[in-house]
Amino acid sequence: MVSKKVEKLLLKVQKPGRYVGGELNEVIKNKRDVEVRFAFCFPDTYEVGMSHLGMKILYSQFNSVPYIWCERVFAPWVDMEEEMVKNHIPLYALESGDPLSDFDFIGFTLQYELSYTNMLNMLKLGEVPVTTEARGNELKHIVVAGGPCACNPEPIADFVDLFFIGEGEEVDLEVMELFRQCKKEGADKREFLRRCAQIEGVYVPSLYEVAYHEDGTIKSFVPKDGAPAVVHKRLMLDMDKSYYPDNFVVPMVEIVHDRAVQEIFRGCIRGCRFCQAGFIYRPVREKSPDTINAQCRALCENTGYDEVSLSSLSSSDYSQIVPLLEKLTEWSGEEKVSLSLPSLRVDGFTDEIMNKIKTVRKSGLTFAPEAGSQRMRDVINKNVQHDELMQTCATAFAGGWTTVKLYFMIGLPTETMDDVAAIAQLGQDVVDTYYRTPNHAKGKSVRVTVSASSFVPKPFTPFQWEPQDTISQLHEKQEHIKKSITTKKVQFNYHDADTSFLEAVFARGDRKLCRVMALACERGFHFDGWNDCFSLEKWMALFEECGIDPAFYANRRRSFDEILPWDHIDYGVEKRFLQKECQKAYENTTTPHCRLKCSGCGAAKYGRGVCFEKRKDLV
Amino acid sequence: MKNVRIWFKKDFECRYISHLDLNRTMLRALHKSKIPIWHTEGFNPHPFATFPLPLSLGFRGVNECMDVRLEDEEFSFEEIKNRLNACLPRGLRVFDVTEAVMKAGKVAYASFTILLSLPDKSSRLVCEQLGALLQNDTIEIEKKSKKGMKTVDIKPGIKSFSVTELFDCAKLDVVLSAGSSDNVNPNLLIAALSRATGCEYDADITRNELYNSEFEPFR
Repeated sequence: MVSKKVEKLLLKVQKPGRYVGGELNEVIKNKRDVEVRFAFCFPDTYEVGMSHLGMKILYSQFNSVPYIWCERVFAPWVDMEEEMVKNHIPLYALESGDPLSDFDFIGFTLQYELSYTNMLNMLKLGEVPVTTEARGNELKHIVVAGGPCACNPEPIADFVDLFFIGEGEEVDLEVMELFRQCKKEGADKREFLRRCAQIEGVYVPSLYEVAYHEDGTIKSFVPKDGAPAVVHKRLMLDMDKSYYPDNFVVPMVEIVHDRAVQEIFRGCIRGCRFCQAGFIYRPVREKSPDTINAQCRALCENTGYDEVSLSSLSSSDYSQIVPLLEKLTEWSGEEKVSLSLPSLRVDGFTDEIMNKIKTVRKSGLTFAPEAGSQRMRDVINKNVQHDELMQTCATAFAGGWTTVKLYFMIGLPTETMDDVAAIAQLGQDVVDTYYRTPNHAKGKSVRVTVSASSFVPKPFTPFQWEPQDTISQLHEKQEHIKKSITTKKVQFNYHDADTSFLEAVFARGDRKLCRVMALACERGFHFDGWNDCFSLEKWMALFEECGIDPAFYANRRRSFDEILPWDHIDYGVEKRFLQKECQKAYENTTTPHCRLKCSGCGAAKYGRGVCFEKRKDLV
Repeated sequence: MKNVRIWFKKDFECRYISHLDLNRTMLRALHKSKIPIWHTEGFNPHPFATFPLPLSLGFRGVNECMDVRLEDEEFSFEEIKNRLNACLPRGLRVFDVTEAVMKAGKVAYASFTILLSLPDKSSRLVCEQLGALLQNDTIEIEKKSKKGMKTVDIKPGIKSFSVTELFDCAKLDVVLSAGSSDNVNPNLLIAALSRATGCEYDADITRNELYNSEFEPFR
């Protein structure tokens, strides 16, 4: 629903279809019939936000509750933002067209650190004060946030009233129910937040006092007003009973992932040491093939999508992947629905899987060896062998594929220039494998794309204490790969090191960064994840103005006994385990995955999931 | 196999989606509706639909059409309409389904209603500006082509027009050349007006009807 005022702007901006709503399956309610209005904000463009599964799940779930109306809000692209500001149009929700300031809850999902400025900018555009303090004590405009970045909420602690830690399906609704009750009782916001803090999985930053040592590290972190000393994450234990939408809002303009998405499991058995998702979503919990099949079918029927993507952190690790694909292909061909299986592991690409996905769509193949040398892959616990990768590529080439994309990281702990050069060598080895595969596509050349991103140490990983390489070190490594590639059949791409640096600052930042964030918002920073807008120079000037050294957060080695800014948050994986994993990395020693052997990370305390599966060798 | 023409309105939110977006939205609705229409037979089969004359982004269309091939010749037109409407966003409404009487390539003209206004200026002024422009023997505008900018005269493409003064805007009813060979987009006419007067207009454009070269309504 768009107002006349907005309509006048729409023809002046790119892709105006992003700003109007009105899609199939959007939920419209009468605002007089609801008690809670929730603005679900995605701090990036419509095309990015509409591709996000978590938002789809929570949007449908909120709206399945009669007293809640949940609407969508996205960050307007720079041209639209300019027009809105010029014409005094506050940021509005797509369903009702009402400004953000009309909402009880303004919720953000935090998928990446570089979207923090967009979060603040959206509040500003919505004419909602950005800090908890400035929003006052009235029971409205409650700013909440969740998502993976909520695992270190500290750099944005001044702006968010409460964080949801872990998976949102249950805790979100508990908070809505408490709000409804508080509203009836006439409680104020402070009272509401105090009571919220008693709900497991809710972190209210304003209820904690932080003190610092002279060197800038944390001295103490003290809860007040009865808030818990440690906030434990929430998670869904029975995935078959967990809410899943049978319907998505179907966008009219093309979005990044324009297809139905079916979640098949949460968590990952692997424990790659750089990967935050691999630790914070533990333990692995699968949906049964029957549940997946039924949900998948309903989703396709209700949306009209002719493509469905099976979503998880590592699809080939689904324990019943082949029976599942068999079930799905029973109807998908006839219904003209194609299946895609992203996040395939190098060692999971079997003939059987290949033939199942090939029956419907031949997309490019992407693998992530992450590191070039075997030693380096052992350090990060990737558990992929060189021969396995070559074998997999040979399988794919024999199956008719001619392009392979390989993802790597540079700047990993203990990395040497030889490890870096090994990335180029691995690309060459894949090319050689192509020509050695007897039945590769006739008369066609092979194309191998090697992409290198820069390692960003993240909280709740064994590398959370590690320094990030400096930007100049990263540049040197990028150049070294470039020099080491000798064939035109290997194409090299790399990710900008500047943005990785800023990501590293905010990923492991503390509350002192809030001042920088506030200033960034004042100066109109936005879309830092987009090259069009990002400027490291501008950020460096801000840091200097605030008297903050970003290298303190990004490039400093932290000691095992330092209090980390996120130590008061518990994701089930114990710090002791992460330390042990870090030590093993230094010794080039791998850790077997959860199905081979339990390594005692701590996630078994939840009492479900892979920790309690029967291991194959024990059966 | 029977060629079927599906007539619909494109309005509200759907005014702001491009032709490509419309195409995708329609294909998805056709897929969801399970109407027995012919699918392409390539590697990724999808419903086959063509549009006799695409509509520009931002225009309202009250008599738009899309052609499909029906595999089950007995399938009822009423059923097509109802099923599709259940699968489309509210800004796209099917109001009729007919056989394709004329070939898609026969479209030669299209009629538009254009509401033009200038902020803080009277509608009389806009009417006068329009009248002055349309009286000219030639109306030249710069048009981007493959070989760079070129000047074209759109006057021959304006087949008829009338200007009416309304309370808050000027209403221009105009018939323009349309189709693949000789198309005049009403935005060109507005651009010519802007060039002549130096004003930026708010325009609300509706495409009313398509015609063949004999000025018979396209069916």
